[in-house]
Amino acid sequence: MWLSSELMFFAGLFAMYFTLRATSGEMWAIETEKLNVPFALANTIVLVSSSFTCQYGVFAAERLQARRTGGLLNVARWGMVEWFLLTFFLGAIFVSVQAYEYAMLVSEGVSLSSNAYGSAFYITTGFHGLHVTGGLIAFLLIIGRAYVAKKFGHFEATSAIVTSYYWHFVDVVWIALFIIIYFLK
Amino acid sequence: MKIEAWLFIALAPFFALVATVYGFMGDWHEPVGYLALYLTAGLSIMIGGYLWFTARRVGPRPEDRVDAEIHEGAGEQGMFSPWSWWPLVLGLGAASGFMGLAVGWWIVYISIGLTTVAIIGWVYEYSRGDHAH
Repeated sequence: MWLSSELMFFAGLFAMYFTLRATSGEMWAIETEKLNVPFALANTIVLVSSSFTCQYGVFAAERLQARRTGGLLNVARWGMVEWFLLTFFLGAIFVSVQAYEYAMLVSEGVSLSSNAYGSAFYITTGFHGLHVTGGLIAFLLIIGRAYVAKKFGHFEATSAIVTSYYWHFVDVVWIALFIIIYFLK
Repeated sequence: MKIEAWLFIALAPFFALVATVYGFMGDWHEPVGYLALYLTAGLSIMIGGYLWFTARRVGPRPEDRVDAEIHEGAGEQGMFSPWSWWPLVLGLGAASGFMGLAVGWWIVYISIGLTTVAIIGWVYEYSRGDHAH
């Protein structure tokens, strides 16, 4: 239910982007030239791959396996904690690279207050970035729960699965944002 | 549980159709309306899809049959918190944070601390102390 209301929240943001684009097309043509598409594509791949590592963490959680049973490089025997740490790492890369991208765009004169395009770009991607950051905090809390529990049971596994739903949702929203902002322009 | 799933999934084609009609009638010039309607279809699909997968995993429940007895639904239902003070603490943290934005920035720093304590307290309430397992 909450994820559905989140979908409508982003619906509002998408609608804002399209309305502004429809009313000021010329500005869009000039400003979107400054976007670094290959850079953002690489970042997108990082985020999408984090969804897969997250899902492997969920499979481990459904086996009620919190920690790895083999060596660190033996991926097949990883537990939920290892997969979620990798997911956290990939998500952190995404947010950091996005911050770097913001810095580059600001240096080229696209800022939150520069014009309608700047506002639309930063509000849509910025709210998404905040959601990713929230997801990263959630992953840390879930990993902490796995460490605190002496016996990793359904209580821990359920919260891990719920967090993964949120993560997949944020990932799908980014794919939509990426297609709209970087390809449709 | 399939009936709950269908209640939501059946809404999706309706919203998709309405969005398409809306789009054609407005010549696709007004993006806010049709976008919101298409995503409302997505909203129904999300809830319906979740219920559908849960129904497949859980299988037929006693609630789905007319001849079921109450005792068939007995047993562990899941983990539910009987009561907790932590939502109140988290609410105070959020409220004082927004008050800080309006009144004075220094309050925000206090509420960040309060919110951090509240979130950690809430998440780990049933993992420590008497509930450690």
